[in-house]
Amino acid sequence: MTVDRRTLLAGTAAVVAGAALSRRFFQPPYHSIRRPAHSRVAILRASAYDAKLEEILMQGLRLFGLDLSNRSVLLKPNLVDYIPGDVINTHPLMVTAAVECFQRLGARRVVVAEGPGHQRDTHLLLSESGYAEQLKEQNVLFVDLNRDELKKVKLCSNYTDLGHMWLPRTVLGSDFIVSMPKMKTHHWSGVTLSLKNMFGVVPGAKYGWPKNILHWKGIQHCVVDLCATVPVHFVVADGIVGMEGNGPLNGAARLLGTIVLADDPVAADATCARLMGINPDGVLHIHETAKFLGNSSLEFIEQLAEAVQSPETPFHVVPEFEHLRMHNPTPGSPHLG
Amino acid sequence: MQNPNGSWPAFEGDDREGSWTTSLALWALQGRAVHASVIDRGQRWLLQSKGRESHWLWKWKFRTTDRHVRFDPDKFGWPWMPETNSWVVPTSFSLLALKQWFPPNGASEANFRIELGVQMLLDRVCPGGGWNAGNGVVYGVPLAPHPDATAIALVALVTQTLNPTVQQSLDWLEHAVLTRSAPWSLAWALIALQSHQRSIREPHSRLLQSIEESRIEDAATLAVVALALKSANGQDIFGVRE
Repeated sequence: MTVDRRTLLAGTAAVVAGAALSRRFFQPPYHSIRRPAHSRVAILRASAYDAKLEEILMQGLRLFGLDLSNRSVLLKPNLVDYIPGDVINTHPLMVTAAVECFQRLGARRVVVAEGPGHQRDTHLLLSESGYAEQLKEQNVLFVDLNRDELKKVKLCSNYTDLGHMWLPRTVLGSDFIVSMPKMKTHHWSGVTLSLKNMFGVVPGAKYGWPKNILHWKGIQHCVVDLCATVPVHFVVADGIVGMEGNGPLNGAARLLGTIVLADDPVAADATCARLMGINPDGVLHIHETAKFLGNSSLEFIEQLAEAVQSPETPFHVVPEFEHLRMHNPTPGSPHLG
Repeated sequence: MQNPNGSWPAFEGDDREGSWTTSLALWALQGRAVHASVIDRGQRWLLQSKGRESHWLWKWKFRTTDRHVRFDPDKFGWPWMPETNSWVVPTSFSLLALKQWFPPNGASEANFRIELGVQMLLDRVCPGGGWNAGNGVVYGVPLAPHPDATAIALVALVTQTLNPTVQQSLDWLEHAVLTRSAPWSLAWALIALQSHQRSIREPHSRLLQSIEESRIEDAATLAVVALALKSANGQDIFGVRE
């Protein structure tokens, strides 16, 4: 059999195209598996935002035996917008308590940094939310990530076709990044916890207010790409009062009396979700990051303090996410949705 | 710094697809001795830039299956960056730039986009007046206006000062500045109220007080405060008049 040049070229092109397509469909979108063998979580009880917070937090942090000597720590709270009476943001007293604790653990420098997604006037937001007063009192540096110096970074997974993102140098230059979410439901992603909280590092000066490109590329896929690229070393989640229903801005306050600490953001979010009565395996960005970044399965999460106890009434969600609510859950079981 | 496609980057070294700063660059170049092709290419980029909701497929989606955000997708403006929706601030900046370069009542593409941009702003207003970042109602809940977005939209709507929506928003802004102390919002509020010939006594005194009490560390705030102080001295900052 003879093969002419045209047939050979067409055949080669078909093989190359086929290889490219199969690569797209059969290769995982993440570059490497970085999931630890085991993750550690501590569920702490705290009934109010008061002076006891620092000691509760310190006791919890000691369970992890963190060595932060000579390291720069960046605390990333969830500071989105201010609506009087609403529980949108990580409480400022939680943030200042964390600053004090990480300083006591030997950190060389602790900064609080955020790039609010809706409010362009960060100064106004800091002032109205109570952050300005608390940070000034403790002489803590705040960095507005919306207007920080930027560096172009290649993303470490391909859940979106973004390829790269411009990210703040303050974040990239930090040794130890602590995500400090408010435990809330979210009308577009089911929940917003430590992984989704990292949207705040995306700079508004480049991507706008809000960072609408992340919505168009798929919120949950962007969360995965971002967290695959910007490491979250630790989580301090504010669940003393959370938000249910139409979060992240217009939901209702829900008293939970809980702080969640974790050395793995996926384990933190899976645990927070269970505490909210939400099935973590049904939340796309938790499900996907559990494949390569961290642990969502109870089997691989060591509980250093209290056991996971799902509430009798799960957090309310918008109708699109009703399937995530774990009705009549058995404490500790993640698969009852 | 102008990109090959006629746009301007958000910062030095940025990707070259173009950004929201293009409108501000065009506005700043008004009356300056620059080559006509610089302006022409910038204007052409701005006129082809539009919110992604303007595409027929997305219009259909927002009219039928995705009704959580209340807005009319036929009324679109400008995005922060390509391939995204129209938002209040970039639309307002684009209106300011185009109104400076194109005389009113013409029949050009620019006049069509200006009219559509004005309609978009009026469509996205919050129920009690004023503007949030993009829309007034999401998931059936009215959003609270932001002072800076409201002020910037009002500056862009200076030729619509008698419109009831504009009047209601001016009322909201006048009230809002009474409890605000942030220089950025106060400066924008002062510029907006001055451009609509409302009293600036309150935002002016609060702005002066805020400058004394806080150290302004970012260039954007410093620039807007400087413009506001010029405005307080009677200078027409954006120079958009019928």
